[in-house]
Amino acid sequence: MTKTKKYSIKTTDKKTLEKWYKLMAVCRAIDEKAPNYLKQAIGWSYHAPYAGHDGIQLAIGQVFEKGKDHLFPYYRDMLTAHSAGMTAEELILNGISKDTDPSSGGRHMSNHFAKPEWNIHNVSSCTGNHTQHASGTGRAMKYYKGEGVVISSQGESSVSEGYVYEAINGASNEKLPVIFVFQDNGYGISVPKEDQTANRKVANNFTGFKNLKIIHCNGKDVFDSMNAMTEAKEWAKENSMPVIVHANCVRIHSHSNSDRHELYRDENERNYVKDYDPIAKYKRMLLRYKRFTEKELAKFDEEAKKIVKDAHKKALAAPDPKPESIFDYVIPEPYKASKYPEGTHNFDGPSKKLIEGLNETLKAEFRANPDTFIYGQDMANKDKGGIFNVSKGMQQEFGKERVFNGPIAEDYITGTANGMSRFNDKIRVVVEGAEFADYFWPAMEQLVDSSHDYWRSNGKFVPNMTIRLASGGYIGGGLYHSQNIEGALATLPGIRIVYPSYADDAAGLLRTSMRSRGITVFMEPKALYNDPIAATPIPDDYEVPFGKGKVRREGSDLTLVTYGNTTHMSIKAANKLQEEMGLSTEVIDLRSLLPLDSDLIIESVKKTGKILVVHEDKVFNGFGAEIAAQVSDIAFEYLDGPVMRVGSTFTPVGFNRILEKAVLPNEDRIFEGLKKLAEY
Amino acid sequence: MKKTAIFYSFNTHKTAQVANKIKELWDGPIDEINVEKATDDQLKAYDNYILGVPTWFDGELPNYWDELVPAIEDMSFKGKTFAIFGNGDQKGYPENFGDGVGIMAELIEQQGGKVIGHTDIADYEFESSKAVKGDKFVGLLLDFENQARKTNSRIKEWVKQIANQMVS
Repeated sequence: MTKTKKYSIKTTDKKTLEKWYKLMAVCRAIDEKAPNYLKQAIGWSYHAPYAGHDGIQLAIGQVFEKGKDHLFPYYRDMLTAHSAGMTAEELILNGISKDTDPSSGGRHMSNHFAKPEWNIHNVSSCTGNHTQHASGTGRAMKYYKGEGVVISSQGESSVSEGYVYEAINGASNEKLPVIFVFQDNGYGISVPKEDQTANRKVANNFTGFKNLKIIHCNGKDVFDSMNAMTEAKEWAKENSMPVIVHANCVRIHSHSNSDRHELYRDENERNYVKDYDPIAKYKRMLLRYKRFTEKELAKFDEEAKKIVKDAHKKALAAPDPKPESIFDYVIPEPYKASKYPEGTHNFDGPSKKLIEGLNETLKAEFRANPDTFIYGQDMANKDKGGIFNVSKGMQQEFGKERVFNGPIAEDYITGTANGMSRFNDKIRVVVEGAEFADYFWPAMEQLVDSSHDYWRSNGKFVPNMTIRLASGGYIGGGLYHSQNIEGALATLPGIRIVYPSYADDAAGLLRTSMRSRGITVFMEPKALYNDPIAATPIPDDYEVPFGKGKVRREGSDLTLVTYGNTTHMSIKAANKLQEEMGLSTEVIDLRSLLPLDSDLIIESVKKTGKILVVHEDKVFNGFGAEIAAQVSDIAFEYLDGPVMRVGSTFTPVGFNRILEKAVLPNEDRIFEGLKKLAEY
Repeated sequence: MKKTAIFYSFNTHKTAQVANKIKELWDGPIDEINVEKATDDQLKAYDNYILGVPTWFDGELPNYWDELVPAIEDMSFKGKTFAIFGNGDQKGYPENFGDGVGIMAELIEQQGGKVIGHTDIADYEFESSKAVKGDKFVGLLLDFENQARKTNSRIKEWVKQIANQMVS
């Protein structure tokens, strides 16, 4: 029981008690009706009943203030959403996946309630990963001096996820006004909580965290839950610090409609939890303490029935999503480069290294846009600015609130970037996603989830982030400082991937990324940061649009498509072929992989009839496989030979230079590839 | 003659079993009240109370007791004596062993009542309990799951102890 007693059965005014009763009655009626939609093949094929969580869910919704607070409900939070203001009709529209479903227009799984325009966020089914978004939103809330708090809600079992610990650690360390609600019903589907963690109350795992308040409450009890959430919100706001509210609930039904709890809960247990049905308890208390009569409650029940009936009718009549709409909101239109629409220039200034191009562009964009932020590991400590010093001098110029270190938690870095964007669409976040691209894998779940956001929310939210990753080998870095990960990432719709080879393109693409909505994964060939070969003059305001490749060397006999480190090797190999065989090779530097400049490739193949795809990543399943497939599909009739590829062996990259050389492509291997293709 | 009553839920099994044993052993008149239907008047009517308060879930009062809390908070128990017993599972729920007894004792004392029948914690193994005050439990803790064989002797001893302390 909470100590605060603002709300009690005796002192709460009748109007409020009535409102709560009706919210609970309407929502419970929908919760009970939901399985019928599935039985009638109308929809709601995923339904996680909330019965037993009524107290805490009512309370979360009641303390949520539209226009001030941000709410991240999870898939069992039907009453939370209703109590926060979503109507019965909106709940059913989501349940039966209609086009007018405010959560996602039928795109996301049913029972995932959201209203992004009210900051009731559309979250993943990847349970608990929105805790990181909540921390990110809390960070922005604090920076912009927002008046509200962030509320994140989840089941107790999902607290086992590592990213939840990262989120709470971050909120504790950064002192963020975030309330993490754990709705504890004792089970993660069929897994009892004793199989999750040693403490029966998982909130107690966090007792050692600083700047964190932990409140326990009875989530089945309306008043105790209201008092707990009220206390949590007041404390979070007053102190700008996080709170955990651990709400003890019961799960009266199975986990979802695909689960049968009879298989793992005996009759005694099922009856035991039913005995503590929160709505029945609330009703008994209203009667016992003479706040309402049986007759009055019966009238409220009738009104609730009517609300649900009307909502049902309207929702059934709502339009279904159109199949052709699947291509809407995959990724937003990027910033339109106006000064350099083709991403080319004739600027004749002094050459600058790739690292200088990045550093100067970051600074220029930070000067131009006060809503830009950059953080990551090793980002800012005195004269150290980024693992390779790309962001050198930025913290000194722009301050610790916009340029700061992140913990060694790649998922948190990416997840909180997503969360910051949720506070306001004008925000642009740049992160060094990891010390090296090789260490980005822990953040993959956040990247995958973020890649869904725009589509899943039906265009209502997109994270605006540039994820910078120092990529590739040729530095004697071994297995974990040499990886190229673009081939794996390019399977994700909803992100852009760029991979420049020269300083000017790096600067221009970075500027476009930072001015665009949506996610850009910005691959930086670290071997080229300081290599004079990649240095170029860079116009001050240079822009390179996405999806525009660049012909680095014109030719008519063969086409070579490449990007990143291998661009320079390819040009040398092409020159050698010209010298030795008199054949001219057109070298295309893709610059962007997603979107891909397929037209430029195809047009070149039409001209040359032969194509070699070169990249540093593995040949097997590398990004070149997609290019080869597209050429075969679209330009087969123009081909005078097989589409050939040069890249790494299908092995990790060895640390010893001898091993590294045996794995990675080089000028000689590219030349051999060109020669073989030429001779075909 | 002081009036004594035992309050417990008639729909329980183990708590009812203990209540029946206590009644058998009780020397003198004792009323039996189903707490699920208890009125405010009944709650105020006695001098001596024996309360059966099991612990539900992870350390909560059963709903039937919890629903009475707002009523009790308006009552004065000054001059009244209470003894509380409850069942718990010290191995399955070691973090909240018998919390219900402790929550109820705190409430009673807050309303001016005297809680007697404290027992020794030495024979139990658990991590924490709201029923512990100093080195004693504030009532009788029974564990059918893990120490069933000790139940009868514990009840006997406790009844003897509280009978001596309750004003007759």
